[in-house]
Amino acid sequence: MVCDDDQGIVDVLEILLDAEGFNVITEINSTNLLKKIEVHKPDLLLLDLWMPLLSGDQVLKTIRNTESIKKLPVIVLSASVDGSDIAEDAGANDFVAKPFNLDDIINKIKVFLY
Amino acid sequence: MSDLLNIYIQALDSANSGIIITDNTQRDNPIIYCNKAFEKITGYSHDQIIGHNCRFLQAQDRSQDERFLIKSCIEQGKDCRVEIRNYKKNGKLFWNELYISPVKNEKGEITNFIGVQNDITDRKKSEHELREEKSSIEKKILERTKELVESEAFLSSIIQTVRESLLVLDTNYIVLSANNHFLNSFKVSKEETVGKLLFELGNHQWNIETLKELLTKILPTNNPVIDYEVEHVFPHIGKKVMLLNAYRIEFEGQYKDRILIAIEDITEKKETDRRKDDFLSIASHELKTPLTTIKGLIQILQRMVPPDSSDKFENTLDKVAMYVDRLNDLISDLLDTSKIQSGNIELHKEEFDIDSAIAETIDNLSLAAPNHTITLNGKTGVAIMGDELQISQVLNNLISNAIKYSPGSDKVDVYISKVGNFVKVSVRDYGMGISAQDKSKIFERFFRVRDIQKKFPGLGIGLYISHEIIANHNGTLWVESEIGEGSTFSFTLPILNK
Repeated sequence: MVCDDDQGIVDVLEILLDAEGFNVITEINSTNLLKKIEVHKPDLLLLDLWMPLLSGDQVLKTIRNTESIKKLPVIVLSASVDGSDIAEDAGANDFVAKPFNLDDIINKIKVFLY
Repeated sequence: MSDLLNIYIQALDSANSGIIITDNTQRDNPIIYCNKAFEKITGYSHDQIIGHNCRFLQAQDRSQDERFLIKSCIEQGKDCRVEIRNYKKNGKLFWNELYISPVKNEKGEITNFIGVQNDITDRKKSEHELREEKSSIEKKILERTKELVESEAFLSSIIQTVRESLLVLDTNYIVLSANNHFLNSFKVSKEETVGKLLFELGNHQWNIETLKELLTKILPTNNPVIDYEVEHVFPHIGKKVMLLNAYRIEFEGQYKDRILIAIEDITEKKETDRRKDDFLSIASHELKTPLTTIKGLIQILQRMVPPDSSDKFENTLDKVAMYVDRLNDLISDLLDTSKIQSGNIELHKEEFDIDSAIAETIDNLSLAAPNHTITLNGKTGVAIMGDELQISQVLNNLISNAIKYSPGSDKVDVYISKVGNFVKVSVRDYGMGISAQDKSKIFERFFRVRDIQKKFPGLGIGLYISHEIIANHNGTLWVESEIGEGSTFSFTLPILNK
């Protein structure tokens, strides 16, 4: 599952992951994310930090405090300088700085899915 | 009897004072006797004197007050003493100190007057000179005082006009004076301020332990307080950030051991800096977001290159990718500057081996710049406590610059050595060099050498960031260069003591 408020980035990731043979669900509104996770039960989440209404770290903290989904692997993607620190504090499994290398993303995903 | 009279007359003639006797029983009180000294003083001979009234000595100068005094004394038969202007036979003025005393008979009638006179011209003259001198000195003193008052007024008008708050304290930190800017800035009156203890002003806003400590050191050690930052909620004006500078002042002969405090309000500057930093962080984040998409899409295109496409097609895609990366680097630099400026940059300090860190950085760069030979010379065998990533960023900047600004050359030499308690790293290029006037500015933010701007694009922050990073590691970064001779950038880092 991919959640980013920027449609362009969501598109790129969808194309890439689809090409790699993953089943991709996307969401650009972070306030819908928790519900969507409950419904689709993804194997992994790629999550942006700076999003309007509900920031990525807030969502992540909620995930970590929700029994049913607390073990969900989450890789945070951010263009923010302090992104990696925020991600770590919120309980991310990994972090990738934007702009990213597609190979990096694939490699990091594979760590959690295989 | 006549012998005795002769002796008396001889005595009178020997006297230095001129002596005359008049006969008051005759009309107009004529002179009936004068001694030799009187002849000498006046220049008239005995014969020209006898029979005249004394007033003949006044010539035409007849309006003197003293004359009326003499007249009234004579009429009343009293003694008198006057200093009066008289004139010699040759018309020359002389000051006459005149004593007049009446002689009375048994009936109490005044029969004669005796006049004793002394020429006091010289004394008068020196008295006059003395008076003149005194008045000229007084005049000078007045002028000098006026000058002092004026220069004090001049200085005080400067002090009152400057747009910086100034306070003068005595040795006990009592406020001796406060300028207008202070009173206006803090919205306080002179009465609330002057004569009060600094630490008790207002709501004790200056009652700050560190400040007290610094101020107590000024007088004995003569060490000024420089750029001490105070953040405080002040009455009437709210929360302010102030920059304090304090110096010991003395004025020869007038006072010593006073403290001048200059206070600059940097609240607005701080706020502007903060907004600028915020703006840069947001701007860089917003710029990177679409760049992420572009970079992602290019990578997807690279993966989708059809097997029968030309090399040109692939090369073009690679170039686009390279320029996207370059744009990303520029944005990152901007952000780094913003972070450094606001002092937010985080140092992830760890012990690391400087030799291998330098060697690794050079290896990576050699791959990226295959046309240049980057040679590493030397070895230190020591460890550094610091942020390895940042240090290699510095070396990266220096070597990239060395390559970038030496288009006619194909080599860069890197030297590493142990110098005292420091490791010294130098990057030597054989490029265009830097002029003396630019040398001092190249570490400033956004500075770019004028002629360079067009030929070599850049933001002018690489060296600024490098300089700040090295400073954060308690080292120094400097340059030695001559136009046309190339440049050597060197930095030092303290060696970790174990």
